Amino acid sequence: MITAGLVEGLAGIVGARHVRTAPAERVTYARDGLPTHRRVPAVVVLPGSRDEVIAVVRLLATHGVPVVPRGAGTGLSGGALADASAVLLVLTRLNRILGIDPTNRIALVEPGVVNARLSVAAAPHGLYYAPDPSSQTACTVGGNVAENAGGPHCLKYGVTAQHVLALEVVLGDGRVVELGSPGGEPWGPDLVGLFVGSEGNFGIATRIAVRLLPLPRAVRTLLADFMSLRTAGEAVSAVIASGIVPAALEMMDQSCVRAVEDSVYAAGYPRDAAAVLLVELDGGSDAAVTADAETIQRVLQEHGARSTRTAADSRERERLWQGRKKAFGAMGRLSRDLVVQDAVVPRSTLPDVLETIARIAATYQLTVSNVFHAGDGNLHPNISFDGRVPGLKARVDTASAEIMEACIAVGGTITGEHGVGLDKLRYMPLIFDAESLTAMRAVRRVWDPEERVNPGKVVPVHACREWSGAAKPRAIGPGSAERDRLGAADPGAVPRGSWEDVPA
Amino acid sequence: MSERGGFEALDACVHCGFCLQACPTFLATGDEADSPRGRIELMRALEAGELTPDDAAVVVHLDRCLGCRGCEPVCPSGVGYGRGIEAARALLATKRRPAPLARAALWALTTPGPSRIAYTLARALRATGIPSRLAGWGRFRFAMGMLAATKPSDGRTLGRPDGKRRQPPSDSPTVRQSVALFRGCVMDGLFSHVHDATVRTLEVNGYAVREVPGQVCCGALHAHAGLREEARRLARANVAAFGDGDEPIVVNSAGCGAMLKEYGHLVAEARFATRVRDVTELLAARGPRPGAPVDAQVAYDPPCHLLHAQRIADEPYRVLAAIPVLRVVSLPDAAQCCGSAGLFTLLEPAMSRAVLAPKLASLRTASPQVVATGNPGCLMQLGAGLAAGGLRATARHPVELLDESYRAAGYYA
Ligand SMILES: Cc1cc2nc3c(=O)[nH]c(=O)nc-3n(C[C@H](O)[C@H](O)[C@H](O)COP(=O)(O)OP(=O)(O)OC[C@H]3O[C@@H](n4cnc5c(N)ncnc54)[C@H](O)[C@@H]3O)c2cc1C
Ligand code: SF4
Ligand code: SF4
Repeated sequence: MITAGLVEGLAGIVGARHVRTAPAERVTYARDGLPTHRRVPAVVVLPGSRDEVIAVVRLLATHGVPVVPRGAGTGLSGGALADASAVLLVLTRLNRILGIDPTNRIALVEPGVVNARLSVAAAPHGLYYAPDPSSQTACTVGGNVAENAGGPHCLKYGVTAQHVLALEVVLGDGRVVELGSPGGEPWGPDLVGLFVGSEGNFGIATRIAVRLLPLPRAVRTLLADFMSLRTAGEAVSAVIASGIVPAALEMMDQSCVRAVEDSVYAAGYPRDAAAVLLVELDGGSDAAVTADAETIQRVLQEHGARSTRTAADSRERERLWQGRKKAFGAMGRLSRDLVVQDAVVPRSTLPDVLETIARIAATYQLTVSNVFHAGDGNLHPNISFDGRVPGLKARVDTASAEIMEACIAVGGTITGEHGVGLDKLRYMPLIFDAESLTAMRAVRRVWDPEERVNPGKVVPVHACREWSGAAKPRAIGPGSAERDRLGAADPGAVPRGSWEDVPA
Repeated sequence: MSERGGFEALDACVHCGFCLQACPTFLATGDEADSPRGRIELMRALEAGELTPDDAAVVVHLDRCLGCRGCEPVCPSGVGYGRGIEAARALLATKRRPAPLARAALWALTTPGPSRIAYTLARALRATGIPSRLAGWGRFRFAMGMLAATKPSDGRTLGRPDGKRRQPPSDSPTVRQSVALFRGCVMDGLFSHVHDATVRTLEVNGYAVREVPGQVCCGALHAHAGLREEARRLARANVAAFGDGDEPIVVNSAGCGAMLKEYGHLVAEARFATRVRDVTELLAARGPRPGAPVDAQVAYDPPCHLLHAQRIADEPYRVLAAIPVLRVVSLPDAAQCCGSAGLFTLLEPAMSRAVLAPKLASLRTASPQVVATGNPGCLMQLGAGLAAGGLRATARHPVELLDESYRAAGYYA
């Protein structure tokens, strides 16, 4: 229960000005980067140090109040939302880079450090932090760890999980555990690996040791454009089949290209192309990278590229990348509301899946734009719509579900990097059976037996065997009342709309 | 004015968060309610009537916005934040009286009669040298530092590697382009030396500068305070004073320039708005003509209302590049507001200083002799900050430096 005494206690720990209780202030935390979900937290707390985080979590534990960690709130699955029964723990003030060890190529950071700022700080040492989600100028390393964030360059360098060496985690009851070790290979089970991607369900990361990489000495960036989505999709497979691993391989369709070209991040992509591919090659020597670039250019031309172009200098390369990375924001120009999906399909099925998506868009008369990590087969169909038009939200929702089903049908899965959060709870039963979901839940309870950290996310409780099999839900500890209510509010097992929490 | 009064400019926001790290107040507090995205959420709720304009929390977080518009050029979706916040402030103004301090400052600084007396007193105080001795932190001492920062330079601060006199410009075009000077209120009252430098440097570059009687304050401070009707009244007076011609209107205050360029939205005077040019735009269009060397290190700090609101980035650099030998350094956080923001520095001193702090820290590292910036508020804020922080640099308008270089070159002989 959230009482006045609890709020006072929180203020005693972090200072009154870092506790937000006014409705207007809480409303600003009601959404993340996927604004179709909305939940207003009971209280917002902004601790300034790890010790304050620990003290806050302990206090909440003694009151039995759920806590939801939040970084920059750029997540795209509603993961960082807390409802009126929970306290939102905002980590933006924990934004210190605690140390960079250039010899061992390690950085130790607090969770609120913004991804791109870490690379800026490492640059004087000739190093950078490789995982580069498109949101990197805004999102936090803590949020990246929680979502196991990917990015264009993760095709070659691997996602966040491959770059986190050690973690300090505050568990739901306030105990602090250390996972992994920055110094050497960890022994025993890979607990760091388990934590990365846990979407704030296992605890709160308060210190993160990450690997830094030397900045590549040679880079080439190619832009190729295609007159059909299918040929672009086929070219992606051809590039991979060439045996060369590009640093990045990204695709944007016409609607996305036009939105970017209309924005301040206009990159000079051809507006009349059906799709463009952005291919980056990097390595240790100029000669090798140039040779690779020539090969890839030939492959692209042989596979239907209308034209190809190489960025002349680092400025043009930066421009080509900024256009890609700001594409999601640029699509805000198309209409008032936007939802983005995040499915992974086998790369070879890309041409077919893209056509299926276009067909679904036509059936439901919706604008769907595609911008995605083509090399990984990680699709991001964006649906633009005006949420004020009656009935449109429902249509968008049905179309989203159909797109997801189509991806699953070709052997894909429901999230590549944005996580399940709230948004994809409804799809979990489509790919996991009750046994698997129950197992996931059991793992979560090892970390957080009361399920008090970020409750109601990731695993749809109603779909677990203990819910669906046993006739009656079993009460498990003091948190169960909250859970029941959350479970009821959440679209659980049924793959249907998650619009309930959107104000009309 | 549009049907929704400017709120429609916020519709494009998709909550992506790309503006967060560009917002000085968010960087200061880490609080979403002090971020552009959070404020947009508040403004949308205001427009929808879900929150009321007398809600204390709404007022606090919207008042804390500097109006620097650092959030605009980074927004991929093209959200017109500046127009939104002005609409929201107009709405807030319907439910409260402006802070007495804001009212008093507006009255003393912008109304013709009283302001003449206020500026005369201020100049007299400035001449005593007392403000510069009192400059420091704390409300009063910072204000003294701001006043001290308006003092014209004695021209001896900067080194000159060669004493050679240059040829006065004999090749001046025979038909000089006529431009009309916008004098403004604070610029005219405390920075008339910048107006003089503007006129001289423009003339060297082939412009004939015309004085325009009957002009008044641009209204920016009123509009930012939510006093839209007063801003409109001033705008109409200016439109009348500058007449119908095509003659460019030259402005050397970024804040005024941004406001004059907004007259299209404010009073539907789009044509007037298209005539407005920052002085660095006009100079850069002519090169500008190189002057004599000045041996100094200068940090250029773009005013938000030049860089973000008017999107003028290169021109001031081109003006400084016309001064041989001068070394121009860029600060890593140059694009971020200095915390001046019109009356903000008086009304929200705590936030204003918090925003200034990182800028002072990087200035301390770069240790230039001069910080160049083209806006009176920024000149005063940075000047006061430099003095309070014990840094030796002074804050100057870029045209003052060009003027000094031209003088050394003998162009005014
Ligand atoms: C324009 C745009 C582009 C994007 N591009 C990509 C992309 O290319 N690749 C990609 O992977 N994602 C992308 N995303 C999604 C998002 O940016 C990432 O998921 C990012 O990792 C979220 O970080 P955040 O700091 O914003 O976290 P938040 O949104 O605040 O939180 C996300 C989740 O992490 C949890 N969390 C946050 N901090 C901690 C912590 N310290 N300890 C434990 N749990 C925590 C929260 O509870 C929540 O469940 C994009 C988003 C946007 C808006
Ligand atoms: S960058 Fe633009 S669209 Fe994105 S949150 Fe900020 S204002 Fe909204
Ligand atoms: S105008 Fe400046 S202070 Fe206000 S929200 Fe935008 S960036 Fe932040």
